[in-house]
Amino acid sequence: MPPLEKIPPQSKPFKQRKSFATRKQEVAGIKSKFPNKIPVIIERYDKERFLPPLDKTKFLVPHELTMTQFVTIIRNRMALLPSQAFYLLINSSGLPSMSLTMAQVYKDHQDEDGFLYMTYASQEMFGR
Amino acid sequence: MFRNMNSVSSNTVSFVAGVMQEEPLESRRQQTLEWQNSHRFRPHPVPSSSREAAEEPDEMDKLKAKLMSAWNNVKYGWTVKTKTSFNKTSPIFVLGHAYLLNSEDEVERFRLDFVSRIWLTYRREFPQLEGSTLTTDCGWGCMLRSGQMLLAQGLLLHLMPPDWTWPDAHQLTDVDFEIFRPRSPVRAAGVPIPSFGAPRASTTPEKSCSSSQKKKTESSRDRQAEPTHQKLVTLFGDQPPAPFGVHQLVDIGKGSGKKAGDWYGPSVVAHILRKAVAKTSVGQSLAVYVAQDCTVYKEDVLQLCDPSLSQRVADPSSQAWKSVIILVPVRLGGEALNPSYIECVKNILSLDCCIGIIGGKPKHSLYFIGFQDEQLLYLDPHYCQPVVDFTQANFSLESFHCSSPKKMPFSRMDPSCTIGFYARTKEDFESMCSVVGMVLSSSKEKYPIFTFVDGRGQDYGLVALSSNHFGPPPHLLSAEQRGRGNIRQGSEEFVFL
Repeated sequence: MPPLEKIPPQSKPFKQRKSFATRKQEVAGIKSKFPNKIPVIIERYDKERFLPPLDKTKFLVPHELTMTQFVTIIRNRMALLPSQAFYLLINSSGLPSMSLTMAQVYKDHQDEDGFLYMTYASQEMFGR
Repeated sequence: MFRNMNSVSSNTVSFVAGVMQEEPLESRRQQTLEWQNSHRFRPHPVPSSSREAAEEPDEMDKLKAKLMSAWNNVKYGWTVKTKTSFNKTSPIFVLGHAYLLNSEDEVERFRLDFVSRIWLTYRREFPQLEGSTLTTDCGWGCMLRSGQMLLAQGLLLHLMPPDWTWPDAHQLTDVDFEIFRPRSPVRAAGVPIPSFGAPRASTTPEKSCSSSQKKKTESSRDRQAEPTHQKLVTLFGDQPPAPFGVHQLVDIGKGSGKKAGDWYGPSVVAHILRKAVAKTSVGQSLAVYVAQDCTVYKEDVLQLCDPSLSQRVADPSSQAWKSVIILVPVRLGGEALNPSYIECVKNILSLDCCIGIIGGKPKHSLYFIGFQDEQLLYLDPHYCQPVVDFTQANFSLESFHCSSPKKMPFSRMDPSCTIGFYARTKEDFESMCSVVGMVLSSSKEKYPIFTFVDGRGQDYGLVALSSNHFGPPPHLLSAEQRGRGNIRQGSEEFVFL
């Protein structure tokens, strides 16, 4: 089945748009201004065909926010129905547990540059 | 192009009659292989001359459908026989039952278990799907079929006696068991295993062994359950009124923006099944819960299963605790299956309460029911069979059970899938929560595949859109509307949450 609509090709992933030094600097800057927030990068899985692109990629998230709340915010931003499949993958492979707080996820999975990287994807379709 | 139901069912009658003459059970069993070979390429019965004129415009379509299904069956190995090997040193698991295939008894138990699962495949020449000209789901409906099989397994647990097996289960074909190889080189050469042990049919004498008395009771009990078995299969008939048939499921799927001919995903199908069950009389004693965001909210399940919590009066029949099928759509990795989840998937398939996993290889849906070593055991919906007419008395159930178990490596499993569980009573549900919870934490990956959580979804901030079940489907917004927020400038700024 073809996707509902052609979604324009995404620009390069965040990591490729900016050098390591720039990213690191950016994290340092934002952390000094907002020590109680976690810098998160959310990008669409490059082969995703059903979920819309997100208007923003950089998020500043409170430490105590749970994954459930975070996912709900992102879902609402995309105006998804609860029955629509939506998964946030950490470093493109693991599913974070929904009861974790962002601080816990950040502690375990932050990148060397200081950002936490997440990819969102729905499910694949089957038909052959 | 209009084709009425009568002409279709009369076609089927002649087909069914042509293949399955009423034969004594025993001879039929011996002919299974022969029959399976012949019916794959069996020409469609020539329509009677009176019907020919009326149906002429259909002939091209029919021919096309037939060629497509023949090609499909070649492509997916249903006509080119490939044998599946089973070793005798490590156990094979089938939905919570383990078999160590090092004795004839164990192979026999495995056979009964495997062949008793309901097998639902592509069908052709069924009544047109509403809103399309399609009379087959060959080439697009495999995920719906996998979903049907998952639900059918749930219904077997719900409606049939515990550990029920089909008394008429056929012999296995295209299999190679190590235990038979050294003793009998003939068998290893590709001939299906001959009838060893005693088939469970009441018409044949039982093999004498200590448990023969128990076997006899079970066998007569299972024989008595045959009408229920038949009724269960008809729920999945390829006719518009069948509550879990392709026609109904496609119709329900329209609410999620799907139509006949589309490809379906394991999560969409989970929701279709939930709605389908709620619409039927089965829904009075059985509920389907679909987890969102990999979380099962226990209080939500209790609410669903205990009508006294939500309804004030209603009829007394709906006051009892409902059994529940819990479906958890997941994504076990990005591009490919995250290998650290394999152990956990195995553990899940070893649980009694698991009713299987619908998923597949990329783009190719399969219903996973077990595993041996590093390979998943599955039922494959891709074999295209002619429709069966359930209005015929004593219609054959043979094409709804599979005799050739197949395996594939875990490494080829698509990460998108839906995991199913069944709990009959409240106690079963409680123990499921704890046993599944334990299994989930066994994952090598730091985080479990999904979690059970006390309380309700709404307690955890799932309010905003979650309550809006009947609103306009926002995923159908036009590209323009959707793109409005997606302006590149400013996307480099942080969003504060």
